[in-house]
Amino acid sequence: MPTVLENTRSPISSPLAAALLLFISLFCASLYAETPDTTTAASGVRGMHVLGLEGVKRNHHGTLTVQPSGLNFDGKGARGVIAVASIQDVFTSQDTRQTGGKVLTVAKMGVPYGGGRVLSLFSHEKVDSLTLEYRDANGALHGAIFSMPLGQAAVLKKQLVDLGAHASIPVEMPTDKKDDKQ
Amino acid sequence: MKQNRSLLPVTLAGIAGPALLLCIICLGLIPRAFAADTAAWSIQVEPVQAEEGQLPPDFSMAVYEDLLAQLAKTGQFQQVYRSGDHQADSVPNLLILHMTLLNFERGNQTERAVTTVKGATKVQVHLKVSARDGNTLVEKDVQGTVRLFGENLKATYALAKHIAETLRDASLPGPTAAKAAGQ
Repeated sequence: MPTVLENTRSPISSPLAAALLLFISLFCASLYAETPDTTTAASGVRGMHVLGLEGVKRNHHGTLTVQPSGLNFDGKGARGVIAVASIQDVFTSQDTRQTGGKVLTVAKMGVPYGGGRVLSLFSHEKVDSLTLEYRDANGALHGAIFSMPLGQAAVLKKQLVDLGAHASIPVEMPTDKKDDKQ
Repeated sequence: MKQNRSLLPVTLAGIAGPALLLCIICLGLIPRAFAADTAAWSIQVEPVQAEEGQLPPDFSMAVYEDLLAQLAKTGQFQQVYRSGDHQADSVPNLLILHMTLLNFERGNQTERAVTTVKGATKVQVHLKVSARDGNTLVEKDVQGTVRLFGENLKATYALAKHIAETLRDASLPGPTAAKAAGQ
């Protein structure tokens, strides 16, 4: 039986194609590693403590839950609570940020001919941020900022306001896009 | 005469050596004495004053929290108090730090990453540090910017760092000297 020896060359045999494949796989891996979990569990919202919560490090990931006692943040080895009674104001806002973290930032710098900049166009996401102003037992003003997946901050704000937290700006729940189209 | 000439370098070295040593000791002691004097102050930080809608609340709180952290880090002050802290009411040598927003430009991290020249986030405040009697000790415009890498909130960290540096470099008089100047 005659064997066909044509087209035995692998499509990734050239060094450029191999480098490209490696870069794409690295990019995908970093996106998977850094993209926050957008699932909203019944127990709380996955988010990140940006700053301000006593005893919790900055940029610490954890779960935010609203309980009768207040807003709880549970992270790996760190926990913080803000009592509802101490909350002076609650704000929500949106921002965009680059995904991929430091790994992708370094990788983008290494891509020749400005390819990293092109990647930056596609590696960003919108996030919600929840800002709380609260006072401690001595009357000292504190501020805490949390970031979370889009649409979650308003839900948490509504839960806090329902429990009695003061908010100078009324709660605006995110509108459903399907409803807008109809 | 020959003997005198040979002794000249030795004599010069004998005079210059102790003089140099004295200078080094003095230069070492002056900053210490100055630091001891400024450390007699405590400081209370007030949040940024801005017209409604001019500064987003997350940026306002980030400036406030970052500044508290930076001031505590420098160790320049005996205590760093938050706004409204009742413990600060009884502190005798208290400075109050006020910030008024001058300019805020919200940039875009993606724009920064793509263009490298556009999308910078800038926060500029007018800084005023005064004693309890109203005597102003430091007054300056300070800006924090994030130009290339980092999220928009990094501008608040840069601003807080610049304010802490401004206070460190400012020649704050001691509490007694400030009181005398105020009278």
